[in-house]
Amino acid sequence: MKKMDVRDDPIPRFISRMFETPALRTLPAIQKEEQALQFLKQNGPQLQPILASMGIATGAGWQGIVERLAREIKSLSDGILDREILRAVEERLHFAFYPALDANRQSPSVSREEIVALCRRSASHPVSRRALSGSLSAVLADVTDKYIPLIWERRKYTYVEITKVQRLSLNAQECADLLRFALLVRPAAYLHVMPEVQSGPEAGFAPVQEQALQRAFQGVAARLPATPPSLVRMALRSALPYPSTQGLEAIPRLAAIFALRGRALTPSLVVDRGADSPDKSWFNIARRNASWRSLDVRMLEELYSIASENGW
Amino acid sequence: MKKIGDFFESVVLIVIMVALAHTFLEDFSILVGWTVAARRWIIWAGLLIDIIFTIEFFTRVYFALMRGKLAEYFFSERGWIDFVASVPLLLFNSLPSVLALLAGAGLLTGLGSFLNVLKVIKAVRIARILRLLRVVKLFRRIRYARSPLAQRHIAIITTISVTVLVAWVLVANLLGGLGILAGLERPFLGSQGEHARYLGQGSADSAAVAARARTLAAFDPTLLVARPTGGATGWTRYDDSYYATNFLAGDYEFFSVNGVESFFDGRPVSRATAKEGIVFFVAILLSVLAYILLYSPRFALDITDPIHVMKRGMEESGYNLEVKIPQRRAEEDVFELARLYNSIFLPLKDRGSAQQEQATRLGIDDIRSFVDKE
Repeated sequence: MKKMDVRDDPIPRFISRMFETPALRTLPAIQKEEQALQFLKQNGPQLQPILASMGIATGAGWQGIVERLAREIKSLSDGILDREILRAVEERLHFAFYPALDANRQSPSVSREEIVALCRRSASHPVSRRALSGSLSAVLADVTDKYIPLIWERRKYTYVEITKVQRLSLNAQECADLLRFALLVRPAAYLHVMPEVQSGPEAGFAPVQEQALQRAFQGVAARLPATPPSLVRMALRSALPYPSTQGLEAIPRLAAIFALRGRALTPSLVVDRGADSPDKSWFNIARRNASWRSLDVRMLEELYSIASENGW
Repeated sequence: MKKIGDFFESVVLIVIMVALAHTFLEDFSILVGWTVAARRWIIWAGLLIDIIFTIEFFTRVYFALMRGKLAEYFFSERGWIDFVASVPLLLFNSLPSVLALLAGAGLLTGLGSFLNVLKVIKAVRIARILRLLRVVKLFRRIRYARSPLAQRHIAIITTISVTVLVAWVLVANLLGGLGILAGLERPFLGSQGEHARYLGQGSADSAAVAARARTLAAFDPTLLVARPTGGATGWTRYDDSYYATNFLAGDYEFFSVNGVESFFDGRPVSRATAKEGIVFFVAILLSVLAYILLYSPRFALDITDPIHVMKRGMEESGYNLEVKIPQRRAEEDVFELARLYNSIFLPLKDRGSAQQEQATRLGIDDIRSFVDKE
């Protein structure tokens, strides 16, 4: 018996075409998935005749079709997400910060594989999957490379917080790489957060409690045996609220900001005439909502100022 | 139906552009002394253009009546411009000009007084410049003026300024034609008037008029014809065929004094008037262009662009760009509003969006478009 070609199955074909529409084409995997699921939820009745015209039998029960479509959406976005994870870890993360932070030790070769595995694990959990969307976007859009060199040039608040208060002897490239590491590990902080506790758009971005993080830390550290526990802890602490968390270091504070910025990044956004640039707009709004979002307002102000000066 | 409407609008726009070129050429041909044959073509073209605009006006009136929106068309949609720039021009400018053209040399024999009437009513031709206002419709194709507010605003101020100027020049021309308000031609016509009065002094028989005309013609090269009213030509500088090939109806100045009719060469006056006409036309054209090319971007940057950004921000859940506020203009109303939008609305929206799922950017039409292709 001849095996059915996947291209002959109308559901995968429909979803794959949906992902290629101009509205979704440029979005990262998780945003594609969220938009597609949202679309299904909002447009079910209108969609039924269209699906029927594509040979997808809708008579058997709409709920069943929705579940099949949702499974297919998830499966397709998983594939894309996996490629994004590999790209982020293999092409962007260099572990350049290791020698400076871990007594001149180079990163073990397994570290990269462990991070990839951790990201895949994060992708499999509903809350940390959402957190991963912001982190991956920020890493793949090179947000850290954009801002850290200028923070280093300015030598103002953020620089002082990182180098003097947190006492990290890093150059700009190493610091940018450390932030990438923190961004990729950060979603794991939500692995123990139940979907009932954090749901909706803020899932994966709302702060977690310090005690909950302690529990997550054990599991995450076990998944990253080649990485010094202090680095893992620092990265996970980016999910904690500021300033209510005593002694929250500068790197986690900055990583939390970049993760949120990553979530709001819209690829191929056309800036209308009369509108401010995307980064400047985002940082300005974020600094007004800093306390509500538990972010460091002074860092946001500095980043706003950099975005403003550079027309970003 | 929409396609037919668009086609109709495009044809009208082309005719408007042709009409504007014609308006310029009519004066230009007089100023640089184009041949009578060429100027005849221009007069015929003027008639054709006025007929087209008159038909277009009545077509619009017909459809407005069918929709029961005649008043709306006439006042709100500026149908009055369509009217002023069509019917009066046909009746009082192009049609009399063509009739005079058809009368040809016969004008000199029987229609002399018609010439002066022609000059007075020709004052209405200035209204042709109002057609320029219809070019404002091209705004839609200009990058900075896509918003209906910008289009409407520019249309209003352009209409006001051009209409006021045209109305004043029209009144001034009418008064000038009636001899109430002196124009540049007054000294010139004044001397021709004096000469006409000289011809009217004494006997009105043909030989006596011819004798006086010969004397006058020696030092007034503009005297063309002198004759007793209703009689045979007493004296003429050229024969009829010369007049037919070198003069059009508007090129004569006509006087009738004490039973003696005299025709003078009016081309120097026509040239001066044509020059004024060109200067006025170019001034209006430049003002309209300035409104479109200079003022309209300014208006867009100051008003419609910030409004557009705020509108998108309010409509689209994922659109959170702030309005750019120029520092030195921050106190202006729109930017005051924009400041509130940036500092209050967007942060609140950000908080609100944390509570509810964002609307999807994918629309049912996106799906239909790829399904249709299959």
